[in-house]
Amino acid sequence: MHNNDHKRKLLVTVYLLPTVAILFIFMVIPIIYTFYLSFFDWNLIAPTKKFVGLENYITIFTDSVNRKVLLNTVFYIVLLLALNFILPYFIAIVVQFFIGKMKGPYKVIFFIPSIFSLVVGAMLFSWIMNPVSGPLAIVMKMVGFSLPNWTNSGGMAIVIICLITNWKVFGYNFVLLLTGLGAIPKNLIDATKIDRIPKWRVIWNIVLPLNKSIALYVLILTIVQGLQFVFTPISVITQGGPYYGSSNILYHTYLNAFVLYKTGNASALAMLTFIIFLVLLYAEMKFVEGKSNNYA
Amino acid sequence: MEMKKAIWIVVATSVSVVALGYSALTKASASRSNKKVVKISYWHVNAQTQGGQSVETLVKDFNRTHKYIKVTAKYNPNMYQGLMQNLQSAQASGKVPDVVQIGWAYTNYFADNFKYLAPANAQKKFDTKKSFINTTFTKHTLSFAEDDKRNLVGLPYSLSTPVLYYNKTMLSKYGVDPQTLSTWEGVSAAAKKIKEASGNYGLYIQEPGDTWAQQSLILSNGGSIEKKGKASFASSAGVKAYQFYQDMVNKDKTALHTPWAQGVDDFVNGNVAIAYTTVAQASHIKQSVNFDVAASVAPHFEGHKSVVPVGGSMLTITARSITQQKAAWTFEKYMYTNNSLVTWSKGTGYLPPTKSALKSEAFKSYLTENPMLKPASSQLTTAVAWTSFPKSGLDAEQTMIDARDKILSGSDVKSTLKDAQEKINAQQ
Repeated sequence: MHNNDHKRKLLVTVYLLPTVAILFIFMVIPIIYTFYLSFFDWNLIAPTKKFVGLENYITIFTDSVNRKVLLNTVFYIVLLLALNFILPYFIAIVVQFFIGKMKGPYKVIFFIPSIFSLVVGAMLFSWIMNPVSGPLAIVMKMVGFSLPNWTNSGGMAIVIICLITNWKVFGYNFVLLLTGLGAIPKNLIDATKIDRIPKWRVIWNIVLPLNKSIALYVLILTIVQGLQFVFTPISVITQGGPYYGSSNILYHTYLNAFVLYKTGNASALAMLTFIIFLVLLYAEMKFVEGKSNNYA
Repeated sequence: MEMKKAIWIVVATSVSVVALGYSALTKASASRSNKKVVKISYWHVNAQTQGGQSVETLVKDFNRTHKYIKVTAKYNPNMYQGLMQNLQSAQASGKVPDVVQIGWAYTNYFADNFKYLAPANAQKKFDTKKSFINTTFTKHTLSFAEDDKRNLVGLPYSLSTPVLYYNKTMLSKYGVDPQTLSTWEGVSAAAKKIKEASGNYGLYIQEPGDTWAQQSLILSNGGSIEKKGKASFASSAGVKAYQFYQDMVNKDKTALHTPWAQGVDDFVNGNVAIAYTTVAQASHIKQSVNFDVAASVAPHFEGHKSVVPVGGSMLTITARSITQQKAAWTFEKYMYTNNSLVTWSKGTGYLPPTKSALKSEAFKSYLTENPMLKPASSQLTTAVAWTSFPKSGLDAEQTMIDARDKILSGSDVKSTLKDAQEKINAQQ
C-alpha cells in the first residue's frame, strides 16, 4: 500500500515535469528577469547595465507621457468593458430570453469575424474609415456630413481601435455568455412564468446571479485579452499617436523595449501590468474557480 | 509492466543515439568532400512585394557563379526596426548573420553596440588593389554611412529621397502651373487655390515613424537638425519652416495631417493634389492612380536651396571568422556591380549608390521609363546624411516625432521645438 502510494506520487511528479519545465523556462524565469531588469538602465545589448534603483518605477508615475498612457489604459478598459462585455451580454440575454427562433444563425453570424486576423481587421477598418477618401466618408459626404479626422484625436482613435477589437471579440464573448445563459435550469424560468414574475426581475434576480461565473470569466478576459488585442490596431494604424493619445500600457511597453531599447522603463511598465493582471486573476480564481469547487 | 517500460526506454535511447551518430558522420563526410564551401547569411528587409524577388535573383546568381560560397538570404519583417530587433537577439545568442542591411537612422546605435568589420578594414585584409571603396563611391555618398566619429561603418546600398508627387490632371483643372511648385510658398499658394475651388486638400507630407520628410523642410529653409553633436532644429529657420507647415494644416486647412498609409491613399484616390513622400512610393503610386501623375524635386523656401536627407540603408559585415568575412566581402562587391544594382533598383525603387551604376545605360533607360525617379536621382548629389544623434539616437528620433505630433495638433511651434531640442541635448 505504502509502496503504491509512493509510486503514484513519483508518477505524478514525472507527468507534471514537462509542463512545469516549460512554464518555468518560458514564464517564471522571464518574469523574474524582467523584475531584475526593471532596476537597471540598459539598451538590451550593451555589456554593462547601470543600476538605477527605483527610478524606472518613479518615472512611470511622474513622467507626463506615462501618466497619459496610464489614463488611456483606463479609458480603454472602460470602453472595452462596454463594447465587449456589456453589449454582448445584453444581446445574449435578448437572444436567449426574448427571441424564440434563429438562435443558431445568430451565433454563427456574430462568430464569423473572430476567425479573421486582427491585422486584416485593422487594415480593413482604416480603409473603410479613412476620413478623406474612404467609403464611409464618401457616403457621409453624399448626405452632407463629414467624417472627423479621427486619427488626429486620441479619444476618437481609441474609440475606433476599440470598435475594431469589438468586431473581433464580440462573437466569441457572445457565444460564451449565451452558452452560460442556456445552462440555467429551464424549470427555474418556467416556475417564474407560473408565478408571473416580471421578466426584468427574473433576469436581475435569477439569471444574472446564476450566470455569474461565466460572466466574470468573460469580464476578466475582456480586460486582459482586450488590452492585448488593441495592440495590433494601434501598431497598424496610429503607432500610439497623436502624441501617445491612443497608446496604452502594453503598446508603450513595446515602444520602450523594442523601438527605443529602454529596457528598464519597459520592464517597470511590464511589472506594473503584471501586478494589475495578477490582481484580476486572483479575483477570477476566487469568484469563478472557487465557486465551481463548491459545487463539486 | 516496469520491465517493459525499461526496455522501451533503452530501445528508444539507443535508436536516437545511433541516429545522431549517423547524421554527425554524414555531415562530417559532406564537409570533407567540399571543404572550401563557406556558408554566409544575408539579412535584408525586402518583402516579396518590396524587392524580395530581386534579392532572391541576386543571391541565386551569386551562388551559381561562386562555387565556394553559399549565401542564404533571410527576410526580416517590419523594415530596419524589425531587423534591428532580430539582430539584438542574434547577438545575445552569439549566432550573428554575416552581411546585414542597416537603416541610416540606426548608424550610431549599430556602431556603438555591435561588432562589425569596417569596409576599409575588409579592403585592407582581402584586396590586393586597395581602391575599391574610393573608386566605386563618391566621397559624398560615403558620408551617408559614417557614424558620429566619421568612421565608415558600412557601404551605402539603397538610397532614396523625398520627392513631390502631383496630380497633373487636378492641377491643370484648377489652373495651377507645376513650375510654381519649386518653392514651398508656391506649394502653399497652389494648395489654397485647390482647396477654395474644389474643397480637396492641397498637400500631404508623409508622417511615418520618423521625421525624415519634416527634416527636409527645416533643411530647405537654411536650418540644420544637428550641429557638432547637438540638436539645433529649434533655430529661427526651423521654427519658421514648422510654423509654415502648421499654418497649412491648422489655419488654412490646406494640408492634410494623417498617418502615412492613409495620406498616400488619399493622394492616389484623388482627394489630395500634392504628396511629399519617398521616391520608394513611385511604383505604388504609378500603379494605383487613374489620373496623370508626375514628380518633381523637393521644394525649398524662397531664398534657400533645396536640401533633403537621404533614406535607405547600408550593407555592413557582421561576420566573425576570417573566412566568413572574406566571403561576405566578396558577396558585397558582387552586390555593387552595375548589373546587380540595376536589378536591385528595378525591384525596389531605390536609387543605386555607385557612380557607374547611376551612369550605366541600363539605369538610364530605366529612368526614361520611370520619369518619377528622375527628380530623386538628381537630388542625390546635394542630399545630406540622415541625422543620427551620437547618444540615445533612437530616443532623439522619438522626441522629434513627438514634437511633430504636438505641433500638428496645434501646440506652440517655438516652445515645442525648443523643449524637444533641450530634451535631446540633455542626453548628448
